Amino acid sequence: MLCVSPNHFLILACLLVAVGFLGLLIRRNVLLMLMSLEVMLNGINLALLTFARVGLNLDGGIFVFFIMTVAAAEVAVGLALLVALYKKRNSVFSDHMSLLKN
Amino acid sequence: MVNFALSLLFLPLLSAAVTLIFLRKNGNLASLLSVSTAGGILVLALGLIFSGNEEPLIWDTTWFAMGGWELRFGFFIDAPARLLLFIVAFVGFLIHVFSLGYMADDPAKSRYFGGLSIFMFSMLGITMADNLVMIFVFWELVGFSSYLLIAHYFQTDESAKASRKAFIVNRVGDFGFLIGIVLTYWTFGTVHLIELSDLADFAPSLISTSLCLALACGFVGKSAQFPLHVWLPDAMAGPTPVSALIHAATMVAAGVYLLLRIDFLFTNEALSLIAFLGAAMGLYAGFCALAQRDIKKILAYSTLSQLGYMAAAFGLGAPGVALFHLTTHAFFKALMFLGSGSVIHACHHEQDIFKYGGLRRRMPLTALTFLVGVLAISGVNFLSGYFSKDAILLWAYNFNLPVFIILYLGAILTATYMFRLYFITFEGDARSEHAEHARENSPLMTFPLLVLACLSVIGGYHALYPNALGEFLASDLSVVANLPHHMWMVILGTFAWVCGLLVARALYSNAKDSDPVEDRYPSFFQLCASKLFFDEIYQFYINRVQDPFARFLEVMELLFISGLMVRGSAGIAALLSLLAKACYIGKINAYAFWFLVGTIGFLGYAAGFFGN
Repeated sequence: MLCVSPNHFLILACLLVAVGFLGLLIRRNVLLMLMSLEVMLNGINLALLTFARVGLNLDGGIFVFFIMTVAAAEVAVGLALLVALYKKRNSVFSDHMSLLKN
Repeated sequence: MVNFALSLLFLPLLSAAVTLIFLRKNGNLASLLSVSTAGGILVLALGLIFSGNEEPLIWDTTWFAMGGWELRFGFFIDAPARLLLFIVAFVGFLIHVFSLGYMADDPAKSRYFGGLSIFMFSMLGITMADNLVMIFVFWELVGFSSYLLIAHYFQTDESAKASRKAFIVNRVGDFGFLIGIVLTYWTFGTVHLIELSDLADFAPSLISTSLCLALACGFVGKSAQFPLHVWLPDAMAGPTPVSALIHAATMVAAGVYLLLRIDFLFTNEALSLIAFLGAAMGLYAGFCALAQRDIKKILAYSTLSQLGYMAAAFGLGAPGVALFHLTTHAFFKALMFLGSGSVIHACHHEQDIFKYGGLRRRMPLTALTFLVGVLAISGVNFLSGYFSKDAILLWAYNFNLPVFIILYLGAILTATYMFRLYFITFEGDARSEHAEHARENSPLMTFPLLVLACLSVIGGYHALYPNALGEFLASDLSVVANLPHHMWMVILGTFAWVCGLLVARALYSNAKDSDPVEDRYPSFFQLCASKLFFDEIYQFYINRVQDPFARFLEVMELLFISGLMVRGSAGIAALLSLLAKACYIGKINAYAFWFLVGTIGFLGYAAGFFGN
């Protein structure tokens, strides 16, 4: 009988983080990179909620609320920066953002 | 009294500082400031000498302290210091006045007069200092100002070379002096002159020949004695008043004064060595002077020989007589240098005596005063040189006959070359355009000559000296007065100068454009002109030993210090920077990757995966 255990949730969380990380590495579009970050954060959130559920306390849940708040703020700032960058440089590709190198 | 001494010392320094900061472009104002400073020094010095009682002025304070050890700054103005103070202030003032005339057309007056003020400051410091370290500091300062002033005409190669030579040769002597000071401190635990003197009296076994000879190196360098005499004749490349002040009357005499200050440290062996070296210098310089054509170089060699006399007097145990000769020598040698300056100025900076001639009729005052100087240095009876030089000769006659013989031959030579100089320069016919059109100089330049001429006449009557000045001389000179063979000495002394006069008259009174001795006795003349090849030997040593050694050190330095240590450490840093640069690729994805790897690494470390 297939049963959904906490381990499945943890494996899913790890997969989410891995997908997000790979996306961060591979994608050159900064918008997609931000989205990959969100995926990673959500993977972590999932892991935290799993632990909270297994441990029968609310610490993990509270943590997740904080992370989501911070992520919302971060995305707002990140998108604003991205829009400003786009206006300035007409591009959202990270390959074109190597001003410090040269 | 102490305030007097302090203001006396720092007045010229202040004047030099003002000249340096405000008057660099304003030569006339700088010269007036410097001359009035010299006048102020004279007034203060006279006040200091005569206002007090005859007790020495002793005062000191802490200069700086390092831990428990401290360096004192103080004055010890006793009878010899008072006399030298008088000479420095008085002759210095006259030479400053002379410089006003001599340097009137010089484009770099403020540098010159500023240099003179620095010199006065350092010379007064040597005179009044109460410990060896302080003497050494001012000793270096006079060396520096001498360098500065010799290099006044630094555009000419001769002057630039001479200043470097003077500086470096003096450093050789001063290095010995420095070692002597360290040894003194090592042995006695103090460098204070009065304490040293007490200790030397209390424990004579502490005194050693090597110690006092190391200290005497300072004298050898500064007073240009054998074997470091080579710098003084070259130093004549500086302006003539500088030669008079620094290289005749005061700075070179400071070497003898140093010996007087530390005479309690000398052993008999060291004293007799100094006596023989001094006497040899007296004779050697006389021969060299015979073959010189440059008026100032003749006087320079004569200074060397007179310093040799002072050294001999000191070595024979008569410091009072040495100081007496220092005093009279300061008067007549400054007189002759200023006289030569007057001649040089009138003849448009021609210095070859065979380009002069017949100047007596055109420059009567200069000629007359110069003649007084020549007579005084030759030891003509009842002039100043007669009293001081014959006192040395008589002392030597009674205590050390070999030294006497050398000195006596030197005395005959002195008279010969001085009369040679006089006859060729002032008698006969003019031998060049410039000499024909020479005119007597302004009173600014002749007035100091007259004053110094008067002093050269009466300077020998030490009984006339005020007690504040003559106190130190009195004891040794009263011993001289009671020595036997006085009459014999008078005859010998008179014979020496008459002999010199007759020889010079026979040889040189009809001199034409070339030296009669060179024509008649070329080998003797060549020998004199060669100066016994000291310069050549030193040059050889420098070329063959010192320069290769310096090059060897340079290679070592290139290999090890600049190659291995400096470049090597820079190379390691450069390698590291290459590594660091490889990580810096400018792609945000790569940075994110390294960030995560780093985070995982930290986590792994925290979890103990690396075996910790």
